[in-house]
Amino acid sequence: MTGSTLGARAPRLTLRRRRQLAGALFALPAVGLVAGLIAVPIGQAIYYSFTQWDGLTSTWIGPSTWTQAFHNPNLWTALENNAWLLLAVPFALGLPLLIAMLLHQRVIGWKIFRSIYFLPTAISWVVLGLVAERFFAYQGTLNSLIHFFGLAHVSTNMLGYESTALSALGITFVFTMIGTNTMLFLTGLATLDTSLEEAARIDGAGRWRIFRHITLPHLSRFIQLAFVMTVIALFSALFSLIFVMTGGGPGYATTTMEFLIYQTGFAQGDFGTAALYGLILFVLTAIVGIVQLRLIGSDE
Amino acid sequence: MSVDTRRAAPEVATDDRARVRRVGRGALFLVMVGVAVVMLYPFWVMVVDSLKSENQFLSGHGFSWASWRTLTSTIPIAQEVVSSTIICAVSILLILLVGLPAGFAFAKLKFRASGVIFLAIVSAMMVPLQAILMPEFVNITRLGLTGGYTGAVLVYAALGTPFSVFLFATYFRGVPDELIEAGIVDGLGYVGALWRLVVPIAIPAIATVTVLQFIQIWDDLLVGLLFIQNTSERPITVGLAVLAAGRTTSIPALMAGSLVSALPAMMVYLIFQRYLVKGLTMGIDR
Repeated sequence: MTGSTLGARAPRLTLRRRRQLAGALFALPAVGLVAGLIAVPIGQAIYYSFTQWDGLTSTWIGPSTWTQAFHNPNLWTALENNAWLLLAVPFALGLPLLIAMLLHQRVIGWKIFRSIYFLPTAISWVVLGLVAERFFAYQGTLNSLIHFFGLAHVSTNMLGYESTALSALGITFVFTMIGTNTMLFLTGLATLDTSLEEAARIDGAGRWRIFRHITLPHLSRFIQLAFVMTVIALFSALFSLIFVMTGGGPGYATTTMEFLIYQTGFAQGDFGTAALYGLILFVLTAIVGIVQLRLIGSDE
Repeated sequence: MSVDTRRAAPEVATDDRARVRRVGRGALFLVMVGVAVVMLYPFWVMVVDSLKSENQFLSGHGFSWASWRTLTSTIPIAQEVVSSTIICAVSILLILLVGLPAGFAFAKLKFRASGVIFLAIVSAMMVPLQAILMPEFVNITRLGLTGGYTGAVLVYAALGTPFSVFLFATYFRGVPDELIEAGIVDGLGYVGALWRLVVPIAIPAIATVTVLQFIQIWDDLLVGLLFIQNTSERPITVGLAVLAAGRTTSIPALMAGSLVSALPAMMVYLIFQRYLVKGLTMGIDR
C-alpha cells in the first residue's frame, strides 16, 4: 500500500516539475521582451534623470537636475495644459453615454447607426488631426457653420491663438474618444437585465429615476473603465493630434507632458531632462493605472 | 374647461399616446441621423477635399480627379502602405508567438513566482511609451536597429505583449485542465498541447488581439516616426504626419492620402467589429 503510493507520487512530482519548467520556458520570451524593452528603460530613465545626457555621453549631475526641472516654466505649462484638458473628460464620457442610451432604444436601423458611430475609431489620430485642422481652419467648416447661422462677421481661427488652441485640441480629443466609449457603454447596456427596468416602469418610476437608480449603477464598472482609459489616452495618446494640428503651439499653448518629452529630447537634444519628464508622466499614469488594475483585479 | 372630451373617449387617448410615441421615435431617429452626420464628417472632408485640384481647393469651386491622379508622385503612397503592412504583420506575428505560450503558461502551467511575474507584465500595460522614450530610443539606436523595420517591430511587440498575455491568460483559464492533461498523457508534450489543443480553441482571442493590434499599429505615429530612420521605409501615418507638419504639401493630396490610409483599418474594423468590442471590455464583461 505504502509502496504503491510512493511509486505513484514520484512520477507525479516529476510531472509537476516538468509542467513548471514548461511554464517558465513558455513565459520566457514574453518576459524577456517586456523586461528588455519596458522594465529596463524605466530603470535607465531613473538613472539618466540625474545626468546631463545628449544621447551619446552622460555626466552624473545628481538630484539638482530635478530641482532645475521643476524650476522650468515649460514643465508647469505642460502640466497645466494636461490639467485643463481633463475638463474634456466629462464630455468624452457624457456624450458617449447619451449616444449609447439612444442606440439602446433600438430604433429602425440602429445597427447601421452603431457601425457609423464606431467607424472613426478605426482611423488614425494622425488623419483625424488633419481633418480637425480642416474643421478649425480659417476657411474651414467651423466658420462656414458660424456664417450659415447668420453670424457673418464672426470668424474664428481657434488653432491660431494661444487662448483657444487648447480648447480646439480638447474638442478633437472628445470626438476621437466617442467611438470607443460608446462601444463600452453599449456593451454595458446590453448586459442590463431589461426585466428590472420593466418592473420599475410598472411600479410607476419615471425615466430619470430608472436611469438614475437602475441603469447608471449597473453601468458603473463600465464608466470607471471608460474613465481610466480616457484619462490615460489624454496623457499619452494626444501626440499624433498635437504633432499634426499645432506642433505644440502657438507658443507652448498645446504642449502637453508627452509632447514636451518629445520636444525636449528630439528638438532640443536634452535627453536627460526628457527622461526626467518621462518619469513624471510615468508617475501620473501609474496613479491612474493602479485604479485600472484594481478594477480588473476585483473581478478575479 | 373641466369637461375634458378626451377623458370621455379612452380610445382617443391611447391613439394620442401612440402618436406621441411615434413622434418620439421619429425625433429619436432624427437625432441619430444628426449624430451620424457628425461621425461621418471626417470621411466627408477627406472625400470632398481630395476631389479638388490645388487651385480648386484654394478658390473653393469645382471638382476634379487631379489630386488622385498625381497622388503617387506627391506622396510615395504605395511604398508607405507596403511598409505599414510589413510592420503590422511582423509585429502582430511576434506578439502572438510570444503572447500565446505566455498566456498558456500563466493560466495553466503555473511556476514559481508566476503570479507576481504575471502581475508585473500586466502592469507594463500602463507604461506609456513616452515615459521610457529616451532610453528606448538610445538603446534601439545603439543596437543599430533603426535602419529597417526591426526596431519599430520590437517596440510595437513589446508594447502589445502585455495586453495579449493578459487576454490569452484570461481566456485560457476557461480551458479545462483535464483537456491539457489528456493531451500530455497522450504524448503530445507541452508544445504539442499548446499548438494542437489550446491554440485552436483560442481563435476568437487571437482574432481580438490581431484586430486591436492591427488598428493600434497601423494608426500609430510616434514609434514609426522615431524608430525608422530611412524615409524610404516610412509607414503611411508617418508619411502623412511629416508632410502635414511641413505645411508645404497641397491639402487635397494630403486628404487623398489620408483616405487611403484610413481604408484598410476601417475594413478590418467593419469586418471584425465584435472582436474589437470583446477585447475592449475584457475583464469586466463577465
